[in-house]
Order: sequence, then C-alpha cells, then structure tokens
Amino acid sequence: CVPQDPRVLDSMLPYLTAYYGNPHSRTHAYGWGGGGAPGKGTRQVADLIGADSREIIFTSGATESNNMAVKGVARFYKSRKKHIITTQTEHKCVLDSCRSLETEGFQVTYLPVKKNGLIDLKELEAAFQPDTSLVSVMTVNNEIGVKQPIHDIGEICRAHKVFFHTDAAQAVGKIPMDVNDMKIDLMSISGHKIYGPKGVGAIYVRRRPRVRLEPLQSGGGQERGLRSGTVPTPLAVGLGAACEVAQQEMEYDHKRISQLAERLVTKIMSEVPDVVMNGDREHRYPGCINLSFAYVEGESLLMALKDVALSSGSACTSASLEPSYVLRAIGTDEDLAHSSIRFGIGRFTTEEEVDYTVQKCIQHVKRLREMSPLWEMVQDGIDLKSIKWTQH
Amino acid sequence: LQVEVDENGKIVDARFKTFGCGSAIASSSLATEWVKGKTVDEALKIKNTDIAKELCLPPVKLHCSMLAEDAIKAALADYRLKQDPNKEESEKKA
Repeated sequence: CVPQDPRVLDSMLPYLTAYYGNPHSRTHAYGWGGGGAPGKGTRQVADLIGADSREIIFTSGATESNNMAVKGVARFYKSRKKHIITTQTEHKCVLDSCRSLETEGFQVTYLPVKKNGLIDLKELEAAFQPDTSLVSVMTVNNEIGVKQPIHDIGEICRAHKVFFHTDAAQAVGKIPMDVNDMKIDLMSISGHKIYGPKGVGAIYVRRRPRVRLEPLQSGGGQERGLRSGTVPTPLAVGLGAACEVAQQEMEYDHKRISQLAERLVTKIMSEVPDVVMNGDREHRYPGCINLSFAYVEGESLLMALKDVALSSGSACTSASLEPSYVLRAIGTDEDLAHSSIRFGIGRFTTEEEVDYTVQKCIQHVKRLREMSPLWEMVQDGIDLKSIKWTQH
Repeated sequence: LQVEVDENGKIVDARFKTFGCGSAIASSSLATEWVKGKTVDEALKIKNTDIAKELCLPPVKLHCSMLAEDAIKAALADYRLKQDPNKEESEKKA
C-alpha cells in the first residue's frame, strides 16, 4: 500500500486543470503549454537511472513495460533467435508473457533460485544458447525483497551479447540504479511504487547499442514508434516528479527504512520463537520483509491485523488457493509458506506504526498459537513430520 | 476436535484447535457449539452446507466447512471405536 507523495500531486495539478493540451499537437498554444512537460518528465526519470531522456518511454505501468520488453524483443528478433532466459521468481506479468511466447513457439528457460532467493550465476552462464535473444531478471523481488546480483548479470549478458532486461519496479528510486554501470539494456519502472500516481510507468530502452523491439500497441507512432498513444501528461509529470523526489530522498529514506525494518524484525523475533525470515538476510531491500510464523496460518493472522496493510503467501489468501510460487521457488516448507506475512515499510511509515504492528503481531501470533493443534503437538515434543494427516 | 460424551451417548462438551484461515477457525468453532447437547447420532447429521450457510461462507471458502464436518465425523468415529468393548465415559481426541 504505497501512498502518493504530496510533492508529486503538487506537480501534477496544473496539468489536470490549466494546461490540458495534447502534448503531441505542435500547432497551437494548448499543445505548446502541455507539450514540454512529458519531455521534462523523461529527463527526470532518465537522471534517476543514468540514462538519456530519449531512452525513456512512458507506459501505463510496469506490467505494460514488462510485456513490451519481453514480448517486444523476443518477437523482433524471432527470425534468428527463439530463446529467452528468466527466473522462477519473476512477477506474474513477466512469467505470463513468457508463457504466452511459448505458445508462439519460443523456448524459455526459467532459472531456479537458491534457498536465499538469489540465482546461481553459473546456472545462468550455462543456460545461454546461440539463439538466446533476452535475459530478464528482476532487481528486487516484490514478495521477499531479495536483490539479485544485477552488476554480475549485466556483465555476463554483455559478454554473450544478449540483451538484459530488468523489472526494476521495486528498486528504482529506492536503491541506486545505473543502466551503464549495470549494463542494463531494458528496464521497467512503476509509478505508484515510488510514491507517484497509479496508471503510469516507464520503460528504458537502450539506444547504444540499439535495442529494437516490436511494439505491443499499434497507432500514431508516438514514443519513437515503440508505444503509440497520447502520453498522459499529468501522469507523466507525476512520474517525473516522483523520480526527482526519490533521487533527493533516496539516501535518507534507505537509512530510515533500514532502521525501522531492523526494529520490526528484532522486536518480533525477540518476543516470538519459531519465526523465519524468507530470503537472503543481506542481499535485500530492507523495506520488504517476509516472515513465516510457524504453526500459525497467514490469513488468520492477516485478519487479526486487518488495520495494517499486509499480505500473505498463504494459499487461503489467493483466489486460486495456490500458495506463493516465490516461496515455493526458494524451497520453503509448505506449512511455512502458508504461515508467511509480508511487511512493507516505506517513506511514510512511522515508528508508531511499526511499534503498533509489532505489538499486535506478537499478541495475535501468541493467541493463534494457543488455538493451533500444530503448536500444541510441538510443545508436547511430537515430530510433526511423523503425523499421518487425513487427506481430502 | 475433542468431544466429551456422557454415559447416555450425549455430547456434553466439545473443544477445537485449528491451523487455518479465519473461515476454518470459524467453521471449527461453530461445529463445537452445534454438537454440544446433541447425541452422537444427531451430531453425525450435521452437514458442511449447514455450517457454510450459517457463516455465509463465500464459494472459495466452502472447503473450510468440509473440514469441520470431517472433524466431527472423525471425532465421533474415534469415540465409537473406543466404546468397544468399554461403555464408560471417555474423552477422545480426533
């Protein structure tokens, strides 16, 4: 649950009221008034990631950007290249785009991850084929917060002359990103994840060496022909402003969020036994914490903490009754997957909110454990793995 | 599900412990309320659809009510098993 930064709203208001011209109309003053704004937006986004403003294209969000990158690159080079590499822990829109490409005759390698959530670089090296056109690996995972070794992945892709796309929705504006340093060729950016407006995102598409992609949307040829459609000026302005603010606040935010995260985890773990943190302790973004509370089911805990915005990897919380595929990919025990809760700490999270959440969490975990037959059996020294459960 | 049955075959107390979501906990809790005061045969008539209707469970949570019905049946089956050959009052665990 990410609120919009008030500074972002301030930047957008003029474009929702006075300056409503179509930014692509160059023949009248209304267009001139609205026209320069998206340009400024692209510069602000570009600055945040070390790119050139001409390499930034506005989209409706990171989902569209991911679709564009994966499907667009794959389809453009399909006459000679039909293989893509990605990971098992990507966001659904990347995985779904890959599945869709498989029905078009492409071959996809879904790299597994280690127990800590990170990919094995040797496995990545081994996965390359002469007809690989793209590698797509997310920078920071949205469920468990782990940070992939982007620098190393970029190096490897460059060496193999394969394009490297990263879904950086959870990373941009929160940790330093540089497309040249990290040898990134395509990057997905989300507006609402960095306290900007919903309904807008961006995609970075490298110009040198030039990345070509087949557009998803046909039309008037806006955005270098890569993404037709009138650029939503107020939203683009908002995203630009969000990026500029993020650049200013990044260091301070990171420090404060790290402290709050440490506070939350330490307090919970000192009061409650049998709590497991999912994902690498070190290579992570601190603001996304995923904890499993053994012997307590996730949805029941979420219900108890319903005045706090949290989520769970439990099957009970998903419409498909499937537990989190990310937790399954890191080898989490099934029971622990059902017992997981994700805590998100951000720029506007206060210390009071963290303390309140911690207190309620401790209180309800204890209460739910009293109600749990698993907890009782463990207290009695029974090995849960020896129980024969009735199947349904 | 734990039930206490008196010498007349009437359920005088019932307790539950559940590892599950809110709907599972509610279904289990309702089951213990409903079996209290019933005979074993009456309790065996409780259907998961009755539990689901009482709690207004949405379709995606229907299987939670099944959990409760199965627990009632398992507890009472276990009680029946332990009655042979004794006819004493006993406390059962399901």
